[in-house]
Amino acid sequence: MRKTLSLMILVALFAGSYRATAQDILSPQRKQAIDSLALEKVRDLSKYISIIGDKQTPWSDAQRVIERAAELFMENSEIGVSSLGKQDVNYYKVREYFDRLMQLNYDKVSIDWYKIQYVSDLVRQPDGTYVGVITVYQRFQAYDKEKGLVYEDTTKKDITVYVKRKETQIGGRLIGFWDVMLGDIRVKETSK
Amino acid sequence: MSEIASKIKSIRWQRMMFILLMALMVAGADSCKSTGKLSKKERKAQIEQAKNQLKPIISGTSTLSYDEQKRIVGEIMDKNLNDPILNDMIIQAQQKLKTLLAEQNQAKAQKVDVARAALYDMLMNKDNKTADELEQELNAIKRQNLNDTEIDELVARVEKKIADMRSGGSSLPVKAQLENAFTTIANASKTGNLTQANATIQKTLQLFTSDDAPVLIIISREGSTVDYDKPTTIKRYLNFLMDMKASKNEIDAIMTDSNGKIKELDLINK
Repeated sequence: MRKTLSLMILVALFAGSYRATAQDILSPQRKQAIDSLALEKVRDLSKYISIIGDKQTPWSDAQRVIERAAELFMENSEIGVSSLGKQDVNYYKVREYFDRLMQLNYDKVSIDWYKIQYVSDLVRQPDGTYVGVITVYQRFQAYDKEKGLVYEDTTKKDITVYVKRKETQIGGRLIGFWDVMLGDIRVKETSK
Repeated sequence: MSEIASKIKSIRWQRMMFILLMALMVAGADSCKSTGKLSKKERKAQIEQAKNQLKPIISGTSTLSYDEQKRIVGEIMDKNLNDPILNDMIIQAQQKLKTLLAEQNQAKAQKVDVARAALYDMLMNKDNKTADELEQELNAIKRQNLNDTEIDELVARVEKKIADMRSGGSSLPVKAQLENAFTTIANASKTGNLTQANATIQKTLQLFTSDDAPVLIIISREGSTVDYDKPTTIKRYLNFLMDMKASKNEIDAIMTDSNGKIKELDLINK
């Protein structure tokens, strides 16, 4: 009796794990869709950073955009800040980074991200989360009303991305969605 | 003999005469009055006529309306012709009329069901029809004269929706209105015209049940498996278009409530 029960439990466990595995195997098309989604979130962030840094952006709009940008990150994530004159890289919590970015003491700031690409593909972790690293190049230019361009640098940054499938009920429908969360943004190198 | 004669004499002849006269008057009046009784010939003719009237009703070949058929059967019954065959035919006709009424009620109920569904579709306007297209469909339903309170109420609501669509300055389908709005917001923002972008956002929000109406973005659809981006709300999505200065998604589905307001929007990556 005990043997039969053990066997049944074993079969049930095997069946459960098999079903979970079958669900977790993504077709190339679906995998490509989540790869693109994560890249798109980084591109969205680059637009938000550009808006926040833009001195022409009204304060209320900047606050709204900071909210949206902060929502892209996992809790307690940090963003590295470097400059040509300093060896050290300072890391700030996401919201603090955006507040500082908005208050930069220049008359005009231009921030552009380019070459946004995977440096490490999204790989499924045991808990079902896909983790990858996206690298970006940031061109930062600061202007003074009288002196014109007063500072510029190019920084290569690595952003860890986490993608996890979640479910929610909307209008009586069960929706399976991919939640993309950004982790720390690490400075890799800074050059003129 | 003399005893009999005295008895006759003792009768009050005046009284007797009065009673006799009264009796004759009553009998005379009674005979003058119509008894409603027919001659055999007349009765036979009426029975034949009634039978002929009942035959098409029983066989279901009558071209008369239900109400007219019912009136005919009622009139025949009132005549009390008291003919066993006719009585049997009256029962058959009544049964037939009962069936006919049930069929008519069922047919009307079906028509009402179809009209109700069509009217709800029109209110939701899933197919993004123009005001003119909706009006054409509405007129077809109105022509059926269904005489149903619920249908009348729905017709009034669709009429109001059509009027609203027209007074809103746009008889464009909702889908086209949304697509135009998305493009306008993105382009206005791109050219730095944030006033126009914000005005379009406010105007577009009025098409929705609330600022928090859910917006789902499909990133992949493979058979029955659909993958979405994280759900957002319409207000956030419109602001997102303004921030990104681009509209990269197409409309996949629009779900509206009974007032024609959008309660959920599904988009798909271009």
